[in-house]
Amino acid sequence: MDNFALMLGWAGIYGPTALGAIGSIMGCARAGQAACGALLDVESGYGRFIGLSALPSSQIIYGIVVTFALNREVTTATAPGLFGVGILCGLALLASAAYQGLCCASAIVTTKTKPEVFGLSAAPAAIVEGFAVFAFIFALVIAGGIPTP
Amino acid sequence: MKYYTLVASLPALPAHFDVERTPITRPRLSQLLKQLTDKDADTIHQLASFFSWDRQLVSWSDDDIQHRYEELMENPDPLIREIVNLRINVRTIVAAIRRRHDNLGPPTAAGELVAPIQRHWAESTFGLGRRYRWIESFTEQMDRGNIVAADRILLEFTWQTWSRLAARYTFSFEAIPLYVARWEIIDRWTSQDAANGRVRFDQLTQEALGDYAVLKF
Repeated sequence: MDNFALMLGWAGIYGPTALGAIGSIMGCARAGQAACGALLDVESGYGRFIGLSALPSSQIIYGIVVTFALNREVTTATAPGLFGVGILCGLALLASAAYQGLCCASAIVTTKTKPEVFGLSAAPAAIVEGFAVFAFIFALVIAGGIPTP
Repeated sequence: MKYYTLVASLPALPAHFDVERTPITRPRLSQLLKQLTDKDADTIHQLASFFSWDRQLVSWSDDDIQHRYEELMENPDPLIREIVNLRINVRTIVAAIRRRHDNLGPPTAAGELVAPIQRHWAESTFGLGRRYRWIESFTEQMDRGNIVAADRILLEFTWQTWSRLAARYTFSFEAIPLYVARWEIIDRWTSQDAANGRVRFDQLTQEALGDYAVLKF
């Protein structure tokens, strides 16, 4: 039983990085494919599309920082806290990156047709990013309350 | 995941179909659709051949139409069946209106509306007025002999239907047939415009040049 608790603790530490990475992979792949498609249809403004397609990569960075903040000795006393904070933060990062990829793909399609709305079309992606930032900040705050042996 | 590139590479369709030219040429569209897998390409090809067949429906017998309709309705994709069904239904209603105009009996070819039309043959909208609100205005335009306006009503209805459906799909396979279906409407409208333009040009040439308008060698 102790080993299981310790395993959950380790999963909690590595969770934000792993889940954040999965989310970033999904988001960047979606937006990247849309960017490649848009490149076939336009003659200029390529940089915007590639820039938008890279937006969902921030979640993995947040995940790495949370992993560093959670990184401590895993004991039966710390494992539940590490698991709860790490996995929930990781899931939030995964979802935000995956869905931000959709927002970016839509923004790319919109910008391709109407370049003048580039800023506005990126706003939904920025809002989704905001939720990831909330999850990230509060994970750091709560990580401070997990006892360090 | 696999439709993001294709959807993003297709130029946006206009808000309305009555534009001067299609946003993408047929060869370019075909080239972009080569990104599809064989299975998806087959579905799109089937749909495209249905559209080109649909344009020449006049030369087909009822049996041909029935056979072709049944063949297309075997497609496992419900959206494809919906597209085909809608086109056949619109065709059936138009055929019924024309046949009644010519004092003939109800249509007997394919589609789910054949039986209801036969049952409600005496009614002005064949009992379909609530579902297909365009029937009345279409009949009115046909009675006036305004074929272009009547055709526009049909295209408008179909365009709105596809646009409403397309709003539900962004980067999935369904977005592709709906794009092709709406592109086909624009293509049909613009070619009709070109055909009308040619007729008008011939008329003007005839008026201006008289007998010299036709070159004789």
